[in-house]
Amino acid sequence: MGEGGLTHLAAVASPPAPPKTRRIPASGRRRKPILPRVWHFASFGAPGVLVYLCFVMAPILISFGYSLTNYNPFNPPVKFVGFDNYRLLFTDEQFLTALKVTTVLTLIVVIVPNVLGLGVALLLDRKGRLYNALRSVFFTPVILSSVVVSIVWSRLLDDRGPLDSLLRALGIEHPPGWLSDPDIALYSVASIVSWQMLGFCVVVYLAGLQGVPSELLEAAEIDGAGPLRRFRAVTWPLLAPSLTINTVVLLISAFKTYDYVKVITNGGPGSGATATIAFNVLQTGFDSNHVGYASAMAVLMLVVVAVVTTVVLNFLRRREVDL
Amino acid sequence: MRRSLALGAAVLLALGGCSVGSNTGGNGGDQEITFLTFETPNLTPAYWDAAIKRVTDKNPGIKVKKLVAPTADGRTSYAKQLLQSGQFPDVLIAVDSAGFAEAGNLYAWTPEELKDFQFPDANPVKGKYYQLPANTQTIPPIYYNKKMFADAGITTTPKTWAELEADADKLEEKGFPPFAIGGGKDGFPSSMILSGLVSTEVYTKVPDWLTQRRRDKVKFADPAFQTAFSKLADLAAKGYVDKTNVSRDYAATEQAFLDGKSAMYPMGNWFAANADTKKHDFEVGVFNFPTEDGKLVVPAYTGGGMIVNAKAAHLDAAKKFALGFQLDKDQLDASVKADGLFPAIKGYTPPGDVGPTFKAGYDLYTQAVQQNAVVHAFRWETADDGLLPGMKDKVDQAAQDVITGRKSVADACAFLDTEWAKAG
Repeated sequence: MGEGGLTHLAAVASPPAPPKTRRIPASGRRRKPILPRVWHFASFGAPGVLVYLCFVMAPILISFGYSLTNYNPFNPPVKFVGFDNYRLLFTDEQFLTALKVTTVLTLIVVIVPNVLGLGVALLLDRKGRLYNALRSVFFTPVILSSVVVSIVWSRLLDDRGPLDSLLRALGIEHPPGWLSDPDIALYSVASIVSWQMLGFCVVVYLAGLQGVPSELLEAAEIDGAGPLRRFRAVTWPLLAPSLTINTVVLLISAFKTYDYVKVITNGGPGSGATATIAFNVLQTGFDSNHVGYASAMAVLMLVVVAVVTTVVLNFLRRREVDL
Repeated sequence: MRRSLALGAAVLLALGGCSVGSNTGGNGGDQEITFLTFETPNLTPAYWDAAIKRVTDKNPGIKVKKLVAPTADGRTSYAKQLLQSGQFPDVLIAVDSAGFAEAGNLYAWTPEELKDFQFPDANPVKGKYYQLPANTQTIPPIYYNKKMFADAGITTTPKTWAELEADADKLEEKGFPPFAIGGGKDGFPSSMILSGLVSTEVYTKVPDWLTQRRRDKVKFADPAFQTAFSKLADLAAKGYVDKTNVSRDYAATEQAFLDGKSAMYPMGNWFAANADTKKHDFEVGVFNFPTEDGKLVVPAYTGGGMIVNAKAAHLDAAKKFALGFQLDKDQLDASVKADGLFPAIKGYTPPGDVGPTFKAGYDLYTQAVQQNAVVHAFRWETADDGLLPGMKDKVDQAAQDVITGRKSVADACAFLDTEWAKAG
């Protein structure tokens, strides 16, 4: 073998260096160019971002803009009034009443379906056809239109409706004015909203209950824990995420209650007995044409909902973390 | 990229194609106009379809697209929503012209176009006339159950307020609830008695009271208004007006009277249509709203007709349709039978086959016109002499507050003044 042959061997043993182009990553796949990657993510995100900007952010910003004016589409010109609308809100008896009504309604709608929903879910957390059927029964109101529910309940609770007729037949000559007594009407409306939301809570709690490991419950039982202790020590802490979901959803739903009030009582009886903030916003904006003032109410409501929801969410999440 | 641009262009074209208000008409030379109606138990979809057909048959170049307000009582609010979203219809019926007119959205009718109307100067807005004064409604006469009156020993209908209270007392003693009122999602049945009281007591002394209220020369808290309002409070305090009834909507209120649950029903004359056609097992009578001294005073509202969008694509067609609708004899007869209206058209006489309740109410109104005893109907005015936007609901609320005992008359009047200041 001559020198030339060695050279040839050396050439075979050490292959020529690759051409200086792009580096191939360790995985063996080529790194994609940055710009197409941005385009890739943008194409996924754009529709959502566009919808969010157009239908959430833009209306909020426009509303805030309106809230700083005296805008009335039927009484031009529009004038900038700064924070006057906000200042007026805090001396407006109707708005303060609406704030009170919304707070009471929210408290009821957050607490009642949560408590009853948990109870019903515990009862229905068993196997068998009957339980499946009962779950459907409890969930049915959730899928009904709130307007339909409102019409049906307003007929049932009417002074000459079946409930009062039954009470009269039982000897109660003057049944409560469910929708006509200003001191009762709000509780009636809140009960109707709670009734419809109950099924939602039941389903969420049932899902949570099915996620509780049976080994933990069995272990607790072996350790001598009774049903109540097992619920308190094992089930309830593990239901924390369900409680968070239910509370936040109910909180937001209750704050923006409009449809039930509009259909059942139209804000009455009388001046504002059941008028929520959302109801007042629509009335002020569309009936009285005071879009600027109504926008101030809407913005304030948004802030209140955001603050309350954030606080509640943080509190409930911390509880989940502490488990 | 080219594909994305094409897709974007297609979306834009599609959106452009969907835009409202092109109104180009579909069939050949037809001029399409949009017409906002509303539906009630009296004014059914079939009524409107027949009415539209009647006019378009006589005006073949006009094609009408019917729109229906989601609720009868909320039709003006709905029209506002349509205006704000750029979908204001070309023709609207029984929608308050106030607000729309001042903002330049309505066509102002000329005296020549109004020459066939009996009261061409009804409902002026800054001196111009935007709503066709198509019909008159008396609000409220009091309908009554003749059998209950007879059973309670009442032989003549009351003319004074004292007589009305005495009759209510007799009815109550006999176990007949005196008045049917309502409320719920329809506020106006709760303020009917208040409307009658203010019209007959306050307006007889100050006929342009609401015009003066707009100038801040009078207030709701003034003694005259409070005195009238306190009579409603007295009826409620005595139990003649049942506070539990404020949860009943309009349809249920009417049904309660027709079912014989109450002896008297203060309601607009449109009730006559149902009194003459709906099933009930007693004879319905009607008398004018009583006054303090028994003098004849009949509250009435003339208007309720069509308004036309000043910016309608086919303005002439819209005007032609509106005038054709409101002046057509067959259509007027149909409105009399369906909704108990009193057409305010020169030379018009109702058809001979109208029901007895309508006829009785029409006779009462005709006598009042002859004796020059007609005043405005409080809460129902719609122009410069009307309540400010949003105030009708507040009047209904104030009436309910007094009926349920939640507010005193003084507090309810103060509430109305506060709300008026906010609405101004």
